Amino acid sequence: MSSCNEKNSFSSANTQTEDVKVFDRDKTIGYFKRCLEFLPKPYESSDTHRMTLAFYSLSGLDLLGVLETEFTQERINNWIDWIYAQQILPDENNPELNERICGFRGSPFSGLPYNPNGCRASRLPFDASNLAMTYTALTSLLILGDDLSRVDKSAIINAMKYLQKDDGSFTQTYQGMESDMRFVYCACAISYMLNDFSGINIDKVVQYIKESQSYDYGIGQGPGLESHGGSTFCAIASLYLLNKLDEGLLSKDKTIFWLISRQESGFQGRANKPPDTCYSFWIGASLMVCFSYLLIIVYIIPFLCLFIVNYSYYKLKILDSFEFIDYDQNYNFLMTTRSFGGFSKWPGSYPDVMHTYMGVAGLSLMEESKKLDPALNISLKARKNLLKCVFKSE
Amino acid sequence: MSFENYDWSDVVPIEQDDGPDPLAQIAYDPEYSKAMGYFRALAQKNEHSERALTLTEKIIEHNPAHYTIWHYRQQILFSLNKDLYEELDFIRNQVEQNPKNYQLWHHRQVIVEKLKDCSLESSFTEEVLNDDSKNYHAWTYRQWVIRTFNLWDNELSFVEKLLEKDIRNNSAWNQRYFAIFYNPTKPSEEFLEQEVQYGITKIKLAPNNISPWNYVKGVIAKSKLKIDVLEELCKTLYQQGIISPHALGCLVDIYEDRAKCGSINEKELGIQTCILLAEQHDTIRQKYWNYRKHVLTSIA
Repeated sequence: MSSCNEKNSFSSANTQTEDVKVFDRDKTIGYFKRCLEFLPKPYESSDTHRMTLAFYSLSGLDLLGVLETEFTQERINNWIDWIYAQQILPDENNPELNERICGFRGSPFSGLPYNPNGCRASRLPFDASNLAMTYTALTSLLILGDDLSRVDKSAIINAMKYLQKDDGSFTQTYQGMESDMRFVYCACAISYMLNDFSGINIDKVVQYIKESQSYDYGIGQGPGLESHGGSTFCAIASLYLLNKLDEGLLSKDKTIFWLISRQESGFQGRANKPPDTCYSFWIGASLMVCFSYLLIIVYIIPFLCLFIVNYSYYKLKILDSFEFIDYDQNYNFLMTTRSFGGFSKWPGSYPDVMHTYMGVAGLSLMEESKKLDPALNISLKARKNLLKCVFKSE
Repeated sequence: MSFENYDWSDVVPIEQDDGPDPLAQIAYDPEYSKAMGYFRALAQKNEHSERALTLTEKIIEHNPAHYTIWHYRQQILFSLNKDLYEELDFIRNQVEQNPKNYQLWHHRQVIVEKLKDCSLESSFTEEVLNDDSKNYHAWTYRQWVIRTFNLWDNELSFVEKLLEKDIRNNSAWNQRYFAIFYNPTKPSEEFLEQEVQYGITKIKLAPNNISPWNYVKGVIAKSKLKIDVLEELCKTLYQQGIISPHALGCLVDIYEDRAKCGSINEKELGIQTCILLAEQHDTIRQKYWNYRKHVLTSIA
């Protein structure tokens, strides 16, 4: 264990830069910095969700602990302004006119002039916020140290009401696209960060998640669909944020078994599929959310006395018995997907910013000093900022 | 007529305004930037025209995930009363190039809903699944078609074909479960017993294949049977020297149930099986099997 933790540590100086089997921190920082500034043409098909691409790089640099050292406060302020420029605010004269489209867009593609205070008056026929973009805009703002004071919280919560379907799921925009577990998660994470769940019919969400649990106790994008690592994360994290984990999972033990059964070397997203970098996060984070429950019920209560007597014994037992992942095998798999400073989906393919972020997030879950909040998918530092500026706790 | 052949002289393109220091800027193809400039101008007037339709095609060529453009395209198609069967052809070509694009599959759903005609849909998804039998989008869409148009009758035989090709196709196993348990006609107990036997036959062909194990357990949970019906299979495999972590794991479940009912013998067997899994046959999940052993040991 100890050698593994040493190897996985982001903070220790990396002396073996040429050894591909060891995580190269500096090259990864360079990769994220490039992606933050400029993305090549293949990303054209991500034009509507640039906010998410920005989040991957910002959160990656944050997890690596270099956001403040790599950039000046002036640049960070510029980026905060760019994010706010994507906010659609209620119309000044008639708030009802655009109430369904309030929130954040992914980029300025709809054609309004740049305004760091967001757009208020002129509503365009094809302009609209998007739940996933609002989620990554809020997380990015928290990561950049913003206090969310320019976010129109009630407008976002109000617009969200129009995005929930009868079956409990959410769609991403009012323009009526597909609805599934991804946007259930976005709605829950946004509500949690804004400390207001009144935009969600919680009973319907819990019901949707229950119905989406498959016969193998993984969770699909919707009822009847195959269990999938991504949708399982979205469902578990949503339940956790709603404080409904007990009610919403049909069998926590069996879901945990489904999750750990996905480890082949790295993690696969579905049974009998090859391992893929991003599931180190989706599966790993799901397990962490579940563990927080398991630890309390199964372990901490009976061993509370022992804990008081002997702290080191307690710690050792937790690591040995309850973190079911084989760290070394996952780490080694992740290292085979590295090239050009990034991570790719599979060994031998080109890296991209999403898989690079998921690789770094997956690695940070395995660190001894946990740096990632698994349910919100932000650093503990960003979470602390949230607690300070929204929940007013120091 | 294509995008380039239309007269655009009356349109003043609107440039994207990204401000002084944008995040995640993309090196757009000049053709995409130009087309988006026209889109911004047309969108302000909400123009529904033939040239606007070709414009959406040009943008989709560059960015098939542009959900706003798909939304605009749907409005134009409907207001110009376009032949939606031609649109289905267009989608087919697009799906060939981008089989995992959410927007395309949703667009097809919108068009088919409007047409109220599902006659092409089974063969369409079958074609896509022939190329990639685990395409999540295709399965999601296929389930929507089956539910919406009540096309349950032939689904089991379709699944059967896919399982013959690849018995490890978990998507097909999932679809088998869907075809039986989401069908408004509920299966009889006798049918479920046959399904369990079917699953057992497939397990014997490849005991390390997790998909039929999960499937059989799922069917058992829906029937009056208990997981004990798998005990003989698990033990026989082991006695034949065929090591399957799934069989051993299933035995742990069976033994744990009985240990909880007071069987000391089965508690011990459960512990021994956990040790086998942790130390020899499923070492990647060693910590999990040690935990299961811990749970078994704690049973009073």
